[in-house]
Amino acid sequence: MTNFKINFRESSNIQIIDLKGYLDAHTAPDFENAIQKIINNKQYNIIVNCKNLSYISSAGLGVFMAYIEEVRKNKGDIKITNMSSKIYNVFDILGFPLLYEIMNTEEDALKKFTKSV
Amino acid sequence: MNIKLLQRFGKIFYLITGFTLFMIGLILDVIGKNVGPVFAQIDLIKIGAFVAFYLFIQSYWKRESIPLKRLTAILILGTVVLGISLLLAVAIGTEFEFKGSSLIPNNYSTIFISNALAVIIGVAAIIFILLLRDILVYKPRRYTKRNFLILVIGLLAATFSAINLNPYESRLVTTILFGIFVLLILINSFRMPWIVFLKKREKVLTIVFTFSTLVIFTALSIIFQDNSSAGKSILYFSHSLKYFVDGTFLFVLLYSLIAFLSTIFHLPTSDTFDRKMSEVASLHNLSKLVTQVLDFNELVDSVTGMTLQVCEAKSSWLEIIQPAEKLKNLKPEQSGIYVAAQKNISVPDIDHINLSSSFTLRSSVINDRKPVMIDDFKNDTRTQHLNNLESKFGSILAVPLIARNELVGILYATKETEYGFDREDLEVISAFADQAAVAVDNSRLIEKSFERERLMREMNLAQEMQKKLRPQTIPNIEHIELEVFSSPAFEVGGDYYDFMMIDDKRLAIVIGDVSGKGVSAAFYMAEMKGIFQSLCKIYPSPKDFLVNANQAISSSIDKRSFISLIYAVLNIETGVVTSARAGHCPFILAKESDVSFVRPNGIGLGMGNSELFTKYIQESQTQLNSGDAVIFYTDGITEAHTKDGDEFGYSRLLEAIKNNRDNSAIDIRDAIISSVNKYMQNQPPHDDTTLIILKWLRN
Repeated sequence: MTNFKINFRESSNIQIIDLKGYLDAHTAPDFENAIQKIINNKQYNIIVNCKNLSYISSAGLGVFMAYIEEVRKNKGDIKITNMSSKIYNVFDILGFPLLYEIMNTEEDALKKFTKSV
Repeated sequence: MNIKLLQRFGKIFYLITGFTLFMIGLILDVIGKNVGPVFAQIDLIKIGAFVAFYLFIQSYWKRESIPLKRLTAILILGTVVLGISLLLAVAIGTEFEFKGSSLIPNNYSTIFISNALAVIIGVAAIIFILLLRDILVYKPRRYTKRNFLILVIGLLAATFSAINLNPYESRLVTTILFGIFVLLILINSFRMPWIVFLKKREKVLTIVFTFSTLVIFTALSIIFQDNSSAGKSILYFSHSLKYFVDGTFLFVLLYSLIAFLSTIFHLPTSDTFDRKMSEVASLHNLSKLVTQVLDFNELVDSVTGMTLQVCEAKSSWLEIIQPAEKLKNLKPEQSGIYVAAQKNISVPDIDHINLSSSFTLRSSVINDRKPVMIDDFKNDTRTQHLNNLESKFGSILAVPLIARNELVGILYATKETEYGFDREDLEVISAFADQAAVAVDNSRLIEKSFERERLMREMNLAQEMQKKLRPQTIPNIEHIELEVFSSPAFEVGGDYYDFMMIDDKRLAIVIGDVSGKGVSAAFYMAEMKGIFQSLCKIYPSPKDFLVNANQAISSSIDKRSFISLIYAVLNIETGVVTSARAGHCPFILAKESDVSFVRPNGIGLGMGNSELFTKYIQESQTQLNSGDAVIFYTDGITEAHTKDGDEFGYSRLLEAIKNNRDNSAIDIRDAIISSVNKYMQNQPPHDDTTLIILKWLRN
């Protein structure tokens, strides 16, 4: 129906997920599976790159919330990067920036991760 | 009752008539010994006795359609007759004197023995003919019965033509008729369609029985030779009967000979035939199964069970591939493919086969959608690494189950021998797999429609519940205009709003959006309403209210869900609005000087821990002047979008309000809605939309 794509990358032991298209109630389970898969492999340093994300619904936001606790408990983090202003606004209104690290670029997030490790 | 009685009398009548005629014949024979033949038509009387006996037997005859049983009866009766004949004719013996062209018995015992022997052999011959008839008309064709009738007529014609013929004379007409009869036997005897359908064991049995019959009847023919003691007895009794008995023996001999030979010829193919029969039977069963798709577990169990039958496999299992839409709802640790049923193989073995190397039968079938056959399990490069299996494998076959172009599963069959599956097995299993795929697919469709119905009911329930949760009336307050627009996009929406007078002076307004839709949203909404109604009087400060609401909802809400909320309190005497925001869209304050968003900090309910929530939440306060409006809304307004995905957004909303600030609340409301609708080009709304307009009119 709507096109949504997930791409996996890895950079110096940090898992990067690229989101593309519409992340709504229909596609959120795909995203959830993606994060679950990474966590199952005991990887807890995750960057979600939203460069090509065109829409996110509350169900999409819920996915971040579902895993952040577990990830942080394992001394990892989910950092969100490269948001368009529209997407950022959705996160911002809900107060996400107060709870999550949202960064302009992937490089910033990678740097932050390597510094903390 | 009367008819039954009549029938019983009829039967008894036949028996009495037969017996009487036979006795008359016997008496005439006794008289004849002393004074010579007294009554020329003595043969007719004796034949009449047999006709009556025939009618008697016929009236009790039960048609039996199993040829093998008939064959057994012929063998048993033949053996009994042989025993009696040996006893009477050979052990006791008869003595005849040859006088002119007739046989004259030497003593009375000879007459009695002859008569006894004749009646036994004659009745037995009738029974043999009837038994043969049942075998011959098994699976009849158009001329089967007619041909048999002609055969019997031929035999009877030969018999009757020999009436009053002296023992050792012959008549041309009788010889010709008997010749025709033999020809007719040959025509009839090649009809044995029943042999083909016998199982191998039954064929072996048939061979043994027909051979025994051959032996018994050869012995009977020898005993009843014209010149033997028994032969003479019958010839003396009636030459006609001799023809009848000889004809019957010949018939039985020829038929058993041909049956014996053709069963032997059919024996080598009987394995194939047995298999074909079991294939047909199981395919038939499966087509029955297609209608029994209500129980999925039963269905898959039968599919594996029948696979064993169809190709005589040692073990079999069926893997089901989840449909794509179901896959989405699966937890990630669950796999999209699972073993639905197995026979004679353990699950660890199946897992071992599927997981132990990069090439698996499973992935090969999934990728190519073609059957995979491994003839030599131990030495094939694809499977030779698979050792340590509990079960012994020689060969293995995996076929895809495809229904409506969708791979729904994989069926496996194994044998202990190498090269156990041949091309026919593959074809049959493939055909079988097609049937099974249809059954599996149907079963899913049925399940889906049940599921849909259940969801519909649930939805209706949630919708009803939600209707009751919305405020039934809007508070009517002097110098305040309050207007609401609310429309759920789907059956059950996530938008929530409510009003409450905290006391005489303060009106509490709440607007929110529960993440997710459907039943869970309705549930959280109900909870939110409960929290609102119980907390708003205890915590009139919006900040306090939200902190406590967060605490209350966090303990029960799913970690994926949250509620965005604005809680505002209007002092209806002073016009002061105090508000706090928990992650909800900022509300709009439309003052004469400026139209702007009010966005105090705050995160959504249920998102973070209580400490963080309390830390970040702010409260905002505004003084309303006459003509000022406050607009609350949900993201259904700002995220309303065109076909291309362009959103209505915040600036268009602000613009619409700016242009209508001085209008009444109802006009502002309608202006915003029409502006949104115009922008969406009358597309149906994608999300719930709620809009609350509050207009302050006090100077």
